[in-house]
Amino acid sequence: MESVFQCFQRGYGNGDGYALSDTLSPIPPESQPDRLNNFFRSTNFANVKRDFKQALLRNSEVGMSEEEYNGWVEVYVAYWKAVGELLAADAAPKSNSKAAWTKTYDAWKELTSVLHRGYSNHGFPSWTLPCLYVAGKFLRIFAIKADEATPTSMSAVTSFGDDLNPDAEKNEKLEDAARQLNRIFNLCLSDREPNLALSRKWGIYYTTNLLLKTYFKLNQIGLSKNILNAIRAYKGDMPLLDKFPASQQVTYKYYIGVICFLEENYVEAENNLTEAWNKCHKDAIRNKELILTYLIPCHLLTTHTLPTLALLSPYPRLQKLFLPLSRCIKKGDLSGFDTALVAGEDEFVKRRIYLTLERGRDIALRNLLRKVFIAGGFEEPKEPGAASVRKTRIPVAEFGAAISIGSKETMDNDEVECLLANMIYKNLMKGYIARDRATVVLSKGGAFPGTGV
Amino acid sequence: MSSAPTTSASKAEKGTAEGTQKEVKPAAALEEDDEFEDFPVENWTKEETEVPDTSTHLWEESWDDDDTSEDFSAQLKEELKKVEASKKR
Repeated sequence: MESVFQCFQRGYGNGDGYALSDTLSPIPPESQPDRLNNFFRSTNFANVKRDFKQALLRNSEVGMSEEEYNGWVEVYVAYWKAVGELLAADAAPKSNSKAAWTKTYDAWKELTSVLHRGYSNHGFPSWTLPCLYVAGKFLRIFAIKADEATPTSMSAVTSFGDDLNPDAEKNEKLEDAARQLNRIFNLCLSDREPNLALSRKWGIYYTTNLLLKTYFKLNQIGLSKNILNAIRAYKGDMPLLDKFPASQQVTYKYYIGVICFLEENYVEAENNLTEAWNKCHKDAIRNKELILTYLIPCHLLTTHTLPTLALLSPYPRLQKLFLPLSRCIKKGDLSGFDTALVAGEDEFVKRRIYLTLERGRDIALRNLLRKVFIAGGFEEPKEPGAASVRKTRIPVAEFGAAISIGSKETMDNDEVECLLANMIYKNLMKGYIARDRATVVLSKGGAFPGTGV
Repeated sequence: MSSAPTTSASKAEKGTAEGTQKEVKPAAALEEDDEFEDFPVENWTKEETEVPDTSTHLWEESWDDDDTSEDFSAQLKEELKKVEASKKR
């Protein structure tokens, strides 16, 4: 017990919120693997409040108000109870793990509420906000643990009885955690403290990120909108994002990028993801991999560019994900593209990038048509020495033949024309179709915009 | 169309694979596989981000002109003949 409160005093004395928050961690520091055990055994249910009152009094800084002091005592009593449940859950046999983790979640939720009250009623200063971060972070983790733990055989039997909606309870605790996190979000956002330096608004992005993560896990991404609208409404009244710690900036930009991506707003998505990419810590390989998972399809659609081998080399998983498609796009290999898309379908769907990648087929087709154009060669020069000009009149049948390479079916000219008209409409190809002559007349100045021919 | 049965089959396979996996290690991982991870540190400087190396290109054009176009035009001619032959039939 003493060591926890000594850390509290040190953190509080230095005004170091993160050091202070370490005293509320459910994971013991490496140097003291037994801290949770010792802390829990240092007192008992009958005496915990009295003991902590004395310990905090001995340790606490002079100048902390009576009100705030009482608030912290409540916090550590709630923490002590939660630690008790956590130790029990860690030791619980598998048959009982669901109940044990549910209790841990409930106890941790109580700690979170007590902390929340600390800020709303007991005047906790805003520099101690990292305590709230730790509470929120593990609230989410314990909720997931409780939801994922297998129920005891007894409750499994009862749930078989009425399985009308087996998913309803699947995320019960995590949905509850989302509501608690939302309360924390509002606690931070609605702070009326006029001095921004002392405002709880500094907690906004950490809590927002936790919420977004939770909504993604729950597959309720639509709910993010409420949060983002609320942030937008307070924008003028809040510290700028780039004043926040880099980890919060990168996480926020990643989630905003993915949300834009899912709304098919690829330009915004690319901007946000690029920023996340540029600011990401260089050793955070997994996170960089996740950023690229969405940034690569964005690039394909916005600028029609592909990742180089140099970019992909540290990420074998991304190579597996994107290289087969990339190769087919480059070669203009349509049937290869289709095969690669089917082969990767499960993974693409899981990552929510299938529909976007499917649109890459246009680029593959553009490259194929471009090859037909280049293979057509040049016009006979009208006079010697004149600059050579590519043949710009190309029979529809030639494009049709190119499209049917590799696939067993041939396409009607009508169908081919339809594809070509689409390419022209999307500005991937410039020209017109002379239907009476079954010929495509391509633009002499840049038949395939942006590709050098 | 022909791909549909294979896809659903592979999905079913995956379902069972996931099921067995869950039994083997119940909720061992705290964080889900595709979740953005917490950074080990809260803040860092520009120096600790990837230094953009100007000599390596990260993005490249989507087409490939090195692909010998001789081969392609031969292939194209072959295909044209095939298409025409099939139409006459």
